[in-house]
Amino acid sequence: MLALARTSLTRRAGAFLATFLVLLFGAVMIMAFASMLDTAGQADLISSGGEETLTTMGSVVGGWGLCLVAFAAASTIGLSVRQRTAEIALLKSAGAAPAQVTRMVVAEAGLIALVATVAAVAPAYAAGSQLLRLLVDTGQVDAHVSFAFGPIALSIGCGVTVLSSVLAAWAATRKRARSRVTDLLLDAATDTGQMTWKRVVSATVLIVAGVYLGVLTLTALRDKGPDAMPVAGQSAILVSVGLALLAPGLVRLATAAAGRLFMHRGTAGYLMVQNLRHRTGQAAAALMPVILFTGIGTGILYLQLVENQAAAAAGYTATNEQNNIQTLNLVVIGMIVAFACIMLINTIIAATLQRAREFAQLRLAGATPSQVLAAVRAEGALVVLTGIVAGAVAGMCTVVPYSVVRTGQWIPTVTPWLFVGIVAVAVTAALGAGLGSARRLLRRRAVEAMA
Amino acid sequence: MPGSPSALDTDQALCLDGVTKIYRSAGGDVTALGGVTLALREGTFTAVMGPSGSGKSTLLQCAAGLDAPTSGRILVGGVEMSGASEAELTKFRRGRIGFVFQHFNLLPTLSVLQNTTLPLRLAGKRIDRRQAVEMLTRVGLGSRLDHLPSQLSGGQQQRVAIARALVTRPRLVFADEPTGALDTRSAREVLGLLQEAVRIDGRTLVMVTHDPVAASYADQVLFLADGVLVGRLANPTAAGVAERMTLLAAGVAHRATAAGRA
Repeated sequence: MLALARTSLTRRAGAFLATFLVLLFGAVMIMAFASMLDTAGQADLISSGGEETLTTMGSVVGGWGLCLVAFAAASTIGLSVRQRTAEIALLKSAGAAPAQVTRMVVAEAGLIALVATVAAVAPAYAAGSQLLRLLVDTGQVDAHVSFAFGPIALSIGCGVTVLSSVLAAWAATRKRARSRVTDLLLDAATDTGQMTWKRVVSATVLIVAGVYLGVLTLTALRDKGPDAMPVAGQSAILVSVGLALLAPGLVRLATAAAGRLFMHRGTAGYLMVQNLRHRTGQAAAALMPVILFTGIGTGILYLQLVENQAAAAAGYTATNEQNNIQTLNLVVIGMIVAFACIMLINTIIAATLQRAREFAQLRLAGATPSQVLAAVRAEGALVVLTGIVAGAVAGMCTVVPYSVVRTGQWIPTVTPWLFVGIVAVAVTAALGAGLGSARRLLRRRAVEAMA
Repeated sequence: MPGSPSALDTDQALCLDGVTKIYRSAGGDVTALGGVTLALREGTFTAVMGPSGSGKSTLLQCAAGLDAPTSGRILVGGVEMSGASEAELTKFRRGRIGFVFQHFNLLPTLSVLQNTTLPLRLAGKRIDRRQAVEMLTRVGLGSRLDHLPSQLSGGQQQRVAIARALVTRPRLVFADEPTGALDTRSAREVLGLLQEAVRIDGRTLVMVTHDPVAASYADQVLFLADGVLVGRLANPTAAGVAERMTLLAAGVAHRATAAGRA
């Protein structure tokens, strides 16, 4: 099976590129943060304050990055397995036992993750040493601390990336490998993205936990001032991940609403609604990163803005040190948000390139290339809009409680332009990736694309 | 002989005038069509046959506007197929040309009825639900309007594809191995429906096939070898077609051997 997995990988290099890139960026991020723990391990070199900063940076921020990477690996690999339903049916009808199919897909995922981790070492080393320099420059770590990149970075980076990939592949394949061939072929044609109760329960737990932290910020942490920031910040992350897990349900809701509005207004709307109704799973895979990007981006960045405003109102003049800390926070948040954005672009390109056959069929039925693009645009717009609304809700779980605690206002009176910027990036990245890939597919003749 | 008419009548349902198709590749140019000239009358059923690699699919794709010929003219109902862009070609095909493919090519996310009305919707025409239902009833699927393609058998899917090809009332219908993926009984049903479209509705049908039985449903069979028309058989029988095909295959093999020796 390992040999089969290797052949399958080399023959379909393009199809695996998306998974590889997400895992690569993820591993770089995890290892860069984890190397702070390696650096802190050289305890004799460091004054106690610096060590604490490094440990916090490595474990807390790195921990969230790690969750995000595990989630990204699961969703990217889940999408790639879903796209291979027809291939799994073929293997099974050729006599492959369920366990053989599962082993092949899991071995493939493991190989990709391993290669991605190895490729990530050099860039992670560079990113980690930059991070340390930033900590030194902002005066939070002694200048004489030397950078270390060792067992912790390597083991956590490799462990998380490979383990979450293998688990995701196993979970996604297991059910398919056991299904009957005919059911699989039906699944390959349409993908209604039914939600399992496990998914609904995990999502509910995450959302309740997120809202609970928001309430905690409003009550127990009311007088703690800036110290409430880490707790408030986690609300948005938890609720974002929870809503992302509910993506198939959100797609169905949005499709039902859009169905009333657009079903009878033009071909693009009609095709969009039909496609989303029957390919909910694919659209949900694209929706997830939009929610994560918007939710985490809005929540954490506005948290910092509200804090700045509160500090200014209290008459503190920002010291040089405070400015430095703020810069550092923004860099760290920026890394996580950038990763969510990369995942967004990657997922949408992978999901769109998979549709070559469908686009060709539409054209053979009489659709012009611009009609196909209009349908892709309508679909992308609905997915992005849904993601922005869900992301904004998640972001508010952080921003509203913290704003009440620090400024007494439900809605902070800080600039709305940051949100506009986040929305603009989400829209540009999602529609740009989707329409760009669709255009590439439409350049070939329809009969060629069918072959 | 359709390959050499004295004066090409360009007002016919379909007219090809010196059509060539050359695929350029690194290993040298491959001539798929070496100058095909033919004219097909309104309301006729023509089968195109030939050994594999004879260029019959290329001929169909060029004639149907799915691929651009390297040189030569193609006229549908006296109007020259023009348009450099995909969009222009698509608009030309709509309403003039219908297709039936070997692998049905129904949209998996659309129901039987929605697949049938899709060409009308894409062309921005009014959707006559009753007419579409009538068409589907005629192909025997009037009770399966809301099924998805994946819930139908191959034969049923191909019948939906025929209803879809006919719904725009096109002058010309092209069928590329329409029975290639079907069992004998479904194949007979499909061929009967295609024949009906010619006899009753007066459509002009061009079908590529490798099956002598399928070809025997046509009014005439055109034989293609190495990208040129090499023969014609009117009122074909399955046995007669099979005999000509055997000769043709032998001739191709002979020519290949001769070329190899030279």
